[in-house]
Order: sequence, then C-alpha cells, then structure tokens
Amino acid sequence: MVGFIILAILATLGAIGVVTFRQPVHAALSLVGTLLTLAVTYVTLEAHFLGAIQVIVYAGAIMVLFLFVIMLLNVGGGPKVDRFRALRPLAILVGGLGAAGIALVAFLDARPLPGRDVIDSALAGGGAGRVGDALFSDFLFAFHLVGVLLLTGIIGAVGLVQRRPQEAQQVVSEPTVEPHEELTHA
Amino acid sequence: MVATEYYVALSAILFSVGAVGFLTRRSAIMIFLCVELMLNAANLALVAFARQWSSAGVATAMNGQTAVFIILAIAAAEVAIGLGILVAIFRHRASTNVDTLSEVRF
Repeated sequence: MVGFIILAILATLGAIGVVTFRQPVHAALSLVGTLLTLAVTYVTLEAHFLGAIQVIVYAGAIMVLFLFVIMLLNVGGGPKVDRFRALRPLAILVGGLGAAGIALVAFLDARPLPGRDVIDSALAGGGAGRVGDALFSDFLFAFHLVGVLLLTGIIGAVGLVQRRPQEAQQVVSEPTVEPHEELTHA
Repeated sequence: MVATEYYVALSAILFSVGAVGFLTRRSAIMIFLCVELMLNAANLALVAFARQWSSAGVATAMNGQTAVFIILAIAAAEVAIGLGILVAIFRHRASTNVDTLSEVRF
C-alpha cells in the first residue's frame, strides 16, 4: 500500500506538472516522469511486459518525438492573453467532479480481488508469451488492423511533412535572415 | 495487494487532470501532451481490470493487457500523424495556438 501511495503521488504530481508548466519542454519532461511511474505501476499489477513496453515505446520513442518537435518548432510558453481565463475555474471544477464521481463509483462497487494463486496462474506475471498468445488468437484481426494503421500513419506522416518544389526554394533563401535577429529572440 | 478501486481512482485523477489541461491549454503541443496523459490513464484502468478479471480464466484476463498493447501502437501512430500536422501548420503560420486556427472549423 505504501508503494502504491508513493507511485500515485508521483504520477499525480507529474500530471499536474504537465498541465501547469508554461514551457512545453518542462511539461513534456513532467509527462515522462508520469509515464515512468505508470510503468512501475504496471509491474505492481502483474503486467511486466507492458511495463517494459511503456518505458521503451512511450517514455522512449513517443516522448523523444515530442521533444524533437518542440525543439524543432522552438515554441515557448503560450501567449499571456487568454480569452477564456474566466472558464478556467469551471474546467477545474468539472475535472474534479468527474474524478470524484468515478472514484466514488469505484469504491461503492468495490469487489474482492481473486487470490494470489489465481492471479499468478491467469496472468503469469503478464509476460510477453501470454500477451503474444492473446494477440495472435483472440486479437488477430485487431493486430492486422494495427498493421494497416501503422502503414497508413507512415504514408500520412511522409505526405504531410513533404515539401512542394516552390516551398523548398523558399526554405533555401531562409539563411539570409540577419543572424543578430535570431540571437535576440533566443 | 492493493485493491482495484485504488487504481481506478488514480486513473480517474490522471484522466481528469489531462482533461482539464486539454480544456485550458491553448498550444496544440500542450493539448497533445494532455491527450497522451488521458490515454495513459485509460491504460492504467485496463491493466487494473485485467488483474481483477483473472478469476475468469486466462483468455479473459489477458484481454485487458492486450488491449493496452494495441492502444500503445495506436498512440504511436496518432503521435506521428499529429506532430506531422503540427509541423505542417507551424510552417504556414509560425504558431501552434489553437485559438488562431479558427478557419479550420466549418
């Protein structure tokens, strides 16, 4: 229980950091902290393979992509003027009510956990073998669809980022911008 | 072992924080980060439910964890496409503020 409380506090602090940090880089690193904490939480839930995948794919690949784009676009904190500032307390109220409602329902409908031996025999620690068995039997169609989705994603990403010939010429002329100007912006 | 309802409560907290961020942040990148947070909150609930259902047999118990695996793949594809769109928008407008993208709507 103590371990879970520590993990829950770390994950919640990271999540609040994602929402409150002004700089996108700080928010992204805060999200990395939450993702790593969730990976440890998966291990405590007998899902060892998912914990490893969470670290490799989420905290590794996806967040590196995020940090890469944040640095590529060089976006700073958002604009100081916010047209919807008055609605912010309302958003926080709705979020708090939603979380409280879900947690309340979960605690009101609490059910006893199955025994340790039942969990061990059914999940087997959530290793890659059990996940693979399910993936290539019950989830075979979904697995194929994910393959199609990833192929579509690759084609879409290449098509989106591709430059047209006239755009490419504009980019070639970019370095003529005064270097002093860029220094003052940085 | 910690009971499932505590994990569901943590999942609800993480999802709500992500939803509040989604509603209050104006930069498209920050909105994306909040979406990732909400996806992970849903994943945590699924993994917790998978352990709760382990008395229903091996096949049923592994459904939750396999669904999380598929959600991870979808999240990777979604991030690649979304960030590609973001870079394309930034190249034209030099801004990722969603308030200034009002002509995207009908």
